[in-house]
Amino acid sequence: MFRLAPILIFLCFVSLTDGVAKVVDETEIDQQVRDIAKTLRCTVCQTENIWESGAPLAHQMREAIRERVIQGQSTEEIRAYFHSRYGDYIMMEPPKQGVNWLIWLVPFLLLFGGGALLWREVKGWVTRTPPSQPPPALDEASRRRIERELHENQ
Amino acid sequence: MTRTTQITILVVLLALLSLFYQGLWGDPRHIPPVLVGTRAPVFEGPDVESGEPLSSEQYKSKVIVVNFWASWCQECKVEHKNLLRLYDEFKDHPEFVMLGINYQDEIPKARAYLQRYGSSFPHMQDVKGALAIDFGVYGVPETFVIDKQGIIRHKWIGPIVDNVYTNLTQNVLTPLLSDPTPALRQGSGQATSPSVRPERSVSEVEGGSGQAT
Repeated sequence: MFRLAPILIFLCFVSLTDGVAKVVDETEIDQQVRDIAKTLRCTVCQTENIWESGAPLAHQMREAIRERVIQGQSTEEIRAYFHSRYGDYIMMEPPKQGVNWLIWLVPFLLLFGGGALLWREVKGWVTRTPPSQPPPALDEASRRRIERELHENQ
Repeated sequence: MTRTTQITILVVLLALLSLFYQGLWGDPRHIPPVLVGTRAPVFEGPDVESGEPLSSEQYKSKVIVVNFWASWCQECKVEHKNLLRLYDEFKDHPEFVMLGINYQDEIPKARAYLQRYGSSFPHMQDVKGALAIDFGVYGVPETFVIDKQGIIRHKWIGPIVDNVYTNLTQNVLTPLLSDPTPALRQGSGQATSPSVRPERSVSEVEGGSGQAT
């Protein structure tokens, strides 16, 4: 019996490490599924990705991603598959090509153009503002009146 | 500010406004059907009623109408009688076949649905919705027409009713069925027949309701 003890301990150890390995694999799969799902838009929702959506179709898509991850497909292969089925619409970030460049560039162009315009206008206001004038000198009659009133009050 | 700058700003603002205005009238549910003009996905699965295996292989060289439906879908009930009518209209044509794909449903409910509303053509199970994703489906009902070469020629999102039925039968099915081009063997790449080119304008008709959300 005692002779069998090391073998039993070894078998227990092997089964435990196997379990840990499976947990690690599962976590990695989950992580990859989440990473991919977050880049794909839920096609029946408004501005929501597959990972965050509760729609049945999003659930199916998550399952489809999981199956493909388990089959060993890469992230890009899986994204390409969904792109081939639903087009650019399914990508949370539209591919940087063709007309899509407008989406990426126009906001920055508008920001830059607007900023330049604002800078130019503000600069114009500053240069056009006349320097502050000194107060007009007191005329003789007024000065006398002030002095008289001060003297009377003392 | 110079006159040129003012005009430039005005032009840019008008361009942006016209884009926003155009966007106001768009259907937020509309997805461009990218699969039209490409080879249809290969499919196989059990028949809803008999459980017998069905596959795209047995429909090779035929014009196939594929309709995605579910027993929980109200719009599917609306179009169902038209699907039966469509099948009756073309069933005698040797190159016509029709296939229903039961999308994400419970089989007993799907069988009860077919018993209640009628069934004249086969229906395949797609419980997990994997085939629906292969077809780029995002709700039911959706209908596809696949030509003899295995190319998707038409897609309609929403029920087949009224003008949609007329368009499908007269402008899509009739020309495809009268096309004398011999069917190509299944293979890679895209194929087009000379008489009916893939018409995105037909397939990308806006509208359709009853999408699953």
